[in-house]
Amino acid sequence: MTTNTSNINIDKNLLAAILDRLIPAVDDLPSAGQMELTGEIVRLSGQQARFQKIFVNAMEAFATANPDFASLTGAEQDDATRAFESDSPELFDSLLTISYIVYYKDERVHKRIGWSGRTPQPDGNEMEPWDESVLENMRKRKPFWRTV
Amino acid sequence: MTTQNAQLEQAEETVDILVIGAGASGGAATAWLAEAGFKVKCLEQGYWQDPSKYASASKDYEFEMLTNWSPDPNKRQLDEDYPVNDKNSPVTPVMFNGVGGSTILWTAHTPRFHPSDFRVKTLDGVADDWPITYDELEEFYDLNDEVMGCSGINGDPANPPRSPRQMPPLPLGKDGRKLISGFEKLGWHWWPSDSYVNSQRYGEGRDACNFCGHNHMGCYQRAKSSTDLTYWPRALRSGATIETGARVRRVTTDEQGRATGADYIDSKGKEQHQSARAVIMAANGIGTPRLMLNSKSDAHPDGLANTSGLVGKNLMFHPFAMISGVFPEKLDSWQGPLGNIGLSQEFYETDKSRGFVRGYTYQFQRSLGPAWIAKGGFRDPIPWGDGHHEELEKRLGSVMGMAVIGEDLPEEHNTVDLDPELTDSDGIPAPRLNYTLSKNSRDQLDHAIENAKKVLEAAGADDIHVDPMMRQSGWHLMGTARMGDDPEKSVVDKWGQAHDVDNLFIVDGSVFVTGAAVNPTPTIQALALRTADYIVSNRQDLKG
Repeated sequence: MTTNTSNINIDKNLLAAILDRLIPAVDDLPSAGQMELTGEIVRLSGQQARFQKIFVNAMEAFATANPDFASLTGAEQDDATRAFESDSPELFDSLLTISYIVYYKDERVHKRIGWSGRTPQPDGNEMEPWDESVLENMRKRKPFWRTV
Repeated sequence: MTTQNAQLEQAEETVDILVIGAGASGGAATAWLAEAGFKVKCLEQGYWQDPSKYASASKDYEFEMLTNWSPDPNKRQLDEDYPVNDKNSPVTPVMFNGVGGSTILWTAHTPRFHPSDFRVKTLDGVADDWPITYDELEEFYDLNDEVMGCSGINGDPANPPRSPRQMPPLPLGKDGRKLISGFEKLGWHWWPSDSYVNSQRYGEGRDACNFCGHNHMGCYQRAKSSTDLTYWPRALRSGATIETGARVRRVTTDEQGRATGADYIDSKGKEQHQSARAVIMAANGIGTPRLMLNSKSDAHPDGLANTSGLVGKNLMFHPFAMISGVFPEKLDSWQGPLGNIGLSQEFYETDKSRGFVRGYTYQFQRSLGPAWIAKGGFRDPIPWGDGHHEELEKRLGSVMGMAVIGEDLPEEHNTVDLDPELTDSDGIPAPRLNYTLSKNSRDQLDHAIENAKKVLEAAGADDIHVDPMMRQSGWHLMGTARMGDDPEKSVVDKWGQAHDVDNLFIVDGSVFVTGAAVNPTPTIQALALRTADYIVSNRQDLKG
């Protein structure tokens, strides 16, 4: 069930700071928080009411537990994130899930990891023909199912 | 408590047969009966699906897979779903509500029971024998294969000979060849899977698989067989009708306790009644006992057809262990149907020297896209922060899995009952699961885990991970209205006819006496066809 995303009150700066700790910079890509993914995260989370509710709760709980997150050092932010992960595993899981999904649907990431980026359908992938020779050894085996 | 009469608005004229549920078994039974001239109507709480709208063509498919297209109704939470209290079960239910039922989201991996599976009491001294044999069911397996369309090949030494498959097997792919190299090195059995996935065009408007790898979200190509594409067109052409968005509240009975139809809520929220000369339950191993327990009356004070007290008892899953390996090379393991490469039944039949009875099947598993890999897939999630990118690159396209399907024997304390508080959106009491894994099942899984490690190592995997029991693995719902000859020890007879109610039949996995160690749907459908055939041959009195 899709829900309305316009009324969600998410601290996008905090979300970007969390993203930076979850998915760091690599090669020519900046850390995830610098890739302007927060808008897509908010949009996508709204594609299911149940998920969005958990996600919003997660952001609120994270903010409550870490009111000064942005001012912490990187190591301190990692510690705070691990503490949240340990204390609130279901809420943290929603943050991690939506972060990974949105990061790995980004074309810049596809290019770096060599992923085609195509949706599974409609094109699919090439299906090779069936090769009977793979059964050469198994064909030699005698039946061993149990008779009754 | 009163006997329910048809006091609600009558939906339409009395039908011969009312089928509840339009999935694997409901579709098969409806088509068979309609083609034999019975007036059949089906009530289905879900809706028709449009394959062109399946999420595999959406940019958001990796989100949809975990939410709106999750196989777990508690995560999906569509209006047509009902909640299931699974707090007392280490296994969560997996199902789909719609025309086609769970065949919309299944992998269509379709092995058959072995002959020994019908004789576990005689052979191994456990559980009970079925009141039927493999030989009695074989012709219905064949009929079902023809309608659903089976890709596969004869000659499997682990199984009896079979009639020719409709299509050649799906190819193994680079990843499949890699995994079977482990079995070949160990000299252990493997065989390409029987799959209800087209390896070439087959059926009405159904293309060949294009190896997209995501047919467990619904098959855009219509290559994967689901009953909305196979049995239902035949049923409708033969005059059967189906009402979607119709949630059954109870099966109604008369003062003698015979089924008279069903009360239901239609898609507009209106209470309706459909009268019928007979009722067939096809709502799966959770939905059927739920509905029977919700159908108490003066004639059936403990629930419909429940003088044995066994409605809802003996719930069986196939608890899954998953053993996966990361291979050093790229195998493109996101290409091809997720669970349709092959299987091994090296350890299927009982060998008591192993320390347990009965056995297990390995079903070979591919993997999926990058976010799925990052979230772990069959494994623990890839760590966030330092090291994330290196681990993702290592796993993407290189993870293969072996799912263990062990035979879970029936135990009366494993149950589906009614939750005292939880209801669906229409206020109908929801089902509650109470399930614990037996020692025999645990021993099977542990044995399988150790052998799977050997296979993966022999195949060259270098990072092996074990999930000793997957939580989201309740695909196979069985045993909760078992068949048998003794009315005190079973709910239905060998034809699926309720001992207590001669015009009530059950055709879903509820009737299983034991669960074997294979995906159950071909057996469910074969039994449904057999029950329908019995009605055609012996119950012409049900025709109006």
